[in-house]
Amino acid sequence: MAAAVAAGAKVESADPVEEAEPDFIDLFSGMALGATDAEVITLRSRTHLIVFAGAEGSGKTTVLASIYEHLNQGSFPGFRFAGSRSLLGFEEICHLNRFGSGGIQPDTPRTRLTDETKYYHLALKAAEPPAARRDVLLSAMSGELFRMAKDSTEDAAQLTFLRRADTIVVLVDGERLSNTVQRTSAQADAADILESLLDASMVSPSCQVDIVFSKLDRITAAGQPALEFLAKSQEKFEKRFRSRVPHLAFRKIAARPALSVGQQKSDGSLAEAFVSWMTLVSPSEQDEHQGVPAPSRDEREFSKFGWRHFERTRRDS
Amino acid sequence: MSNPANLLFIGLPGSGKTTFLAALWHVLSDRSSSTTLRLTKRSDDLTYLNQLTKEWRECSQVPRTNLRTDQVVVLHLDGEGFGAFDLSIPDLAGEAFKQQLTDRRMSRHHDVFVQKATGVILFLHPDIDKGLQITVARRLEAELNGSQKADTMAASAETSTWSPDKLPTQVSLVELLQFLLERTQRRLRVAVVVSAWDLVDNLGAPHDFVARALPLLHQFLGSNDDLIEHSVFGVSAQGGDVTVETEKQTLLELEDAMQRIKVRQEQQTSQDITKPIAWLLGGK
Repeated sequence: MAAAVAAGAKVESADPVEEAEPDFIDLFSGMALGATDAEVITLRSRTHLIVFAGAEGSGKTTVLASIYEHLNQGSFPGFRFAGSRSLLGFEEICHLNRFGSGGIQPDTPRTRLTDETKYYHLALKAAEPPAARRDVLLSAMSGELFRMAKDSTEDAAQLTFLRRADTIVVLVDGERLSNTVQRTSAQADAADILESLLDASMVSPSCQVDIVFSKLDRITAAGQPALEFLAKSQEKFEKRFRSRVPHLAFRKIAARPALSVGQQKSDGSLAEAFVSWMTLVSPSEQDEHQGVPAPSRDEREFSKFGWRHFERTRRDS
Repeated sequence: MSNPANLLFIGLPGSGKTTFLAALWHVLSDRSSSTTLRLTKRSDDLTYLNQLTKEWRECSQVPRTNLRTDQVVVLHLDGEGFGAFDLSIPDLAGEAFKQQLTDRRMSRHHDVFVQKATGVILFLHPDIDKGLQITVARRLEAELNGSQKADTMAASAETSTWSPDKLPTQVSLVELLQFLLERTQRRLRVAVVVSAWDLVDNLGAPHDFVARALPLLHQFLGSNDDLIEHSVFGVSAQGGDVTVETEKQTLLELEDAMQRIKVRQEQQTSQDITKPIAWLLGGK
């Protein structure tokens, strides 16, 4: 058929030459999404946005990667994996915890300040009827970015998507918290980040904010003084933020525990945490806390063909 | 004129697509066993099928399809409740599917098969790259050693850079199915065929094998039941490992080569290799 078309073009040389169809059709990249692609998802379906914030090394990317690793081994209570536009992106951040990497200790690549904000997509389906499909975007952001946002309007503008976050998880680095020299800084770093977000009105009234003490295995291994400091830190956060954050909760997790603390069943707490992060604050609760009309939280049915439309529109443009 | 039906075989290199085709042609052309689908007449050009089946009958390794030898096989079949139909099956190289994953593009030639497909067989070999996590491996190691403590290992080692060709098997298969959903506008029937089933037959039914060994794929198939109707089959098309001389000899000495074939769906086992195809075309 291709030969016939070519022959026809020779005979009718005055006709406009049709652009040859490319031999290949582009498929979606599979990598972590940039802001534009993430925006398209949020416009096409009701998307749950979970943002992980914390100082460098606090475990943001590790928690994010561990959520995906969990799905690789089985479902979460109440949610099953239904797809992802970021499988390669997830695989990339999981690589250093894979035997195939050649490594012998689990590791996670650091979120760099210079990186464009990346989003990792998951489609999940509720296990119970009506088994609605939900899109979730996960993003890890460095604490430094939040501090810069305080001083620069331009940097703050980059964070406007945070106002859409359904859940913000502020991580307190458990490893530093178990070190007497670094523990006060670890506590202050997390508090500063949350304070910056609140001062810049980045946290919507309906947003669930979890302060999460990461690397619990390290805290436990450090003994009673570290656990007591954790409890005091929690009290401090409670006093400082409860009045400003209606939906404030605390959690301790060990996303990738070392074995020495007898936590072989690694991420029971991570699964519990993730299910909680996926819970939407009900409109009545918002009304109770805010006394203002709650924003619409209609669960639009996810359009599976929306993806297709999006990808094709993007390629055709 | 017979109704046309178009199937698409997808799978990574070495997942058993071509071996299945070779065994299928042997069974259909031999006509001695009772199968759900039967051959009505021989195809016009049998060169490719005869070449594959010769290797299969001699218990040699059926050559893998390479990117230059993509073939479309046409079979004239009928069966009770199906009527007569012409079944087209492109035998596409597993390497082409691997390239889709790494290059993130599909050839237009391949897309034509995707658009025409009335059913899909997703092949997977039970020797799966699980993408084993270091944390999980060390936990298992500690359990085997009866120790609560992890070995204190050196903190650093040479690590490789990540690249898309390092995807674990279940992630690759989910991505290939996502590509299909991306390119088609209709509900698909997908028969998941676990090839070399003889290797894992003692581990339970095929559906349970997929649930246990490929949990991400299992969740994906279950969650997308509005877009994908699926059934899992275990198919032993070769009968054993023909690269092991003693096994090969045992297979060659069987009175009837048909005995090499085993097809399992849930708890039912038979030698009817047409079953996955019949299911795709509307059978049970």
